[in-house]
Amino acid sequence: MQVGTRDKALRPEVLRAVGVAVGPDRSTLTVYVPAELAERTVANLEDNGMLAITFSHVIDHRTVQLKGKLLSLRRSRRNERALQERWLAAFAEQLHMVGFSRRLALRIRIWPSIALEIELCDLFVQTPGPGAGRRIEGSA
Amino acid sequence: MTLFESLPAACFQGVIPAAISTCSADGTPNVTYLSQVFRMDARHVALSCQFFNKTKQNVLENPFASVELYDPVDFSSYRLELKYERAETGGALFDAMALRIQAIASHTGLKGVFRLLSADVYEVLACERREAFLVPAATDEPEEPVDPHVPQSELRCLHLVSQRTARAPTLDALFTALLEALEQSIGFRHSMVLLPDETGTRLFAVASRGYGDEGVGAEISFGDGLIGTVARERRPLRLSNVNSELRYGRAVRASVQATSGRRELVAEIPLPGLPNAQSQLAIPLLACERLMGVLAVESQSPLGFDEWDEAFLDIVGNQVAASIDSAILRERGEDVAQLATTGSSSTSEGSHAGKSERTASPKASGPLRRFRFFASDDCVFVGDEYLIRNLPGRILWKLLRATVDSGRTEFTNRELRLDASLGLPGVRDNLESRLVLLRRRLEQKCPELRLVSTGRGHFRLDLACVPELEEVV
Repeated sequence: MQVGTRDKALRPEVLRAVGVAVGPDRSTLTVYVPAELAERTVANLEDNGMLAITFSHVIDHRTVQLKGKLLSLRRSRRNERALQERWLAAFAEQLHMVGFSRRLALRIRIWPSIALEIELCDLFVQTPGPGAGRRIEGSA
Repeated sequence: MTLFESLPAACFQGVIPAAISTCSADGTPNVTYLSQVFRMDARHVALSCQFFNKTKQNVLENPFASVELYDPVDFSSYRLELKYERAETGGALFDAMALRIQAIASHTGLKGVFRLLSADVYEVLACERREAFLVPAATDEPEEPVDPHVPQSELRCLHLVSQRTARAPTLDALFTALLEALEQSIGFRHSMVLLPDETGTRLFAVASRGYGDEGVGAEISFGDGLIGTVARERRPLRLSNVNSELRYGRAVRASVQATSGRRELVAEIPLPGLPNAQSQLAIPLLACERLMGVLAVESQSPLGFDEWDEAFLDIVGNQVAASIDSAILRERGEDVAQLATTGSSSTSEGSHAGKSERTASPKASGPLRRFRFFASDDCVFVGDEYLIRNLPGRILWKLLRATVDSGRTEFTNRELRLDASLGLPGVRDNLESRLVLLRRRLEQKCPELRLVSTGRGHFRLDLACVPELEEVV
């Protein structure tokens, strides 16, 4: 799960996210990024609020990319840590299934984190192949 | 040395996919994963472009990109700031990147569909390590396991391989010595040598180590999979994290089928070798521009081989190719000399060095074994088990037929060369290598038959069974 943003001069930034929660209306979501690495990402979002997020399934490379707009940005609450820990455990499990030790992934720093609340604007197929880039209809 | 120059080579093997973020001219960010990041020099990387996608479109509008790379050994993370410079569609860089994609594409039945469009060159503007990406490892935890082979000195490795192969008296012994020496000197535990067959379009595994009984005899067409690609392109190829590469290829395959329903996609090609190989390295064995074969090694570790291994095996390969060539010439030399003096019109075997070749066999004893020859595909079965086919199958059938019909057990390479029914190619035939394959298949699948060398170009068929022959037309 990777977050792409850009600054005022259109210089892009990439950052690995460490957890996600889809809102009950399914048109908003909360993405968590590690606070210690998020300085540029936060500055970019405070500047223009535009972001892209790519979600990929480790096992079969099924991938989607979301384009969105920042609704709000805040320090994650203590009760959100458990959600991030579940995400990390699931990610470690996927890596384990493709031959990596779980311990490798479990060292990824997930806390403290910044919660990015996002409005979903568009959704695209990103699975490698000729269909990559196709808009998923009804996504926005 | 800059941080970028000192990044571990493993970061560039694609084991953990890198991510790239770009931005269009209207300010919309884009983020996706990369299949290959190639370090070109101290200030440049090349990224593979297989499909004209949003990333490519963006960097043509706005050349800046941000990439996150990972070291698969400890999951360290590095951030690169890049600026797009140009796309290369030919030349050494393009060829090197395209070869890897071709191997995966051919294996997953995507030849011509999944291919490199361009090698996109970017200048590295900045490189930083993301120190806070990982929490410190607990001190009481053992380190992550790394591939245990620690090479001895380069010179000592080369010396061992060189010495063993140079001393091998026969082609057969040469292959055994080579694979043994590679394991002992550098820890390559799964290796095989494949040679071209008489059609020049397929390779067969003539020797293997670390595959049990299953390695020898495996076949693959030129252009198929890693080994076939190496044979066709005559260039070394190294794949890390093979499972991930194949999953990537399968994702593309599924996407092709979903988007266009293409029915012409061919079936996946089963790889000869370890079913759970995570790394593969194959090099062409070239002697004076002729492809003598392919030397392939595999590992269950995703980072089984690095640039050092590739360079080392390349040097070994050059030497081994020359040794194979000279061993074949040596074994063939006497035949060729005799052919030159006697001509090739006669198919009857006389005598050599005053010794009769039509010695009557001792009465065969042992259990009854049934051999069947399927003439339609030159295939020999022992009992109900497949034994061998094509040229070695025809040779075995000729030997068995001679033994059963006339009691002969002693043969020469020369008489095989003169036998038009075997269909050996006229120039630079591969009889010696086919006899090595036949000998090894017999050892594995039918130890009651043995081909025993009785001198250069001469051999005997030893039987520890009573053969019963059936020809199926």
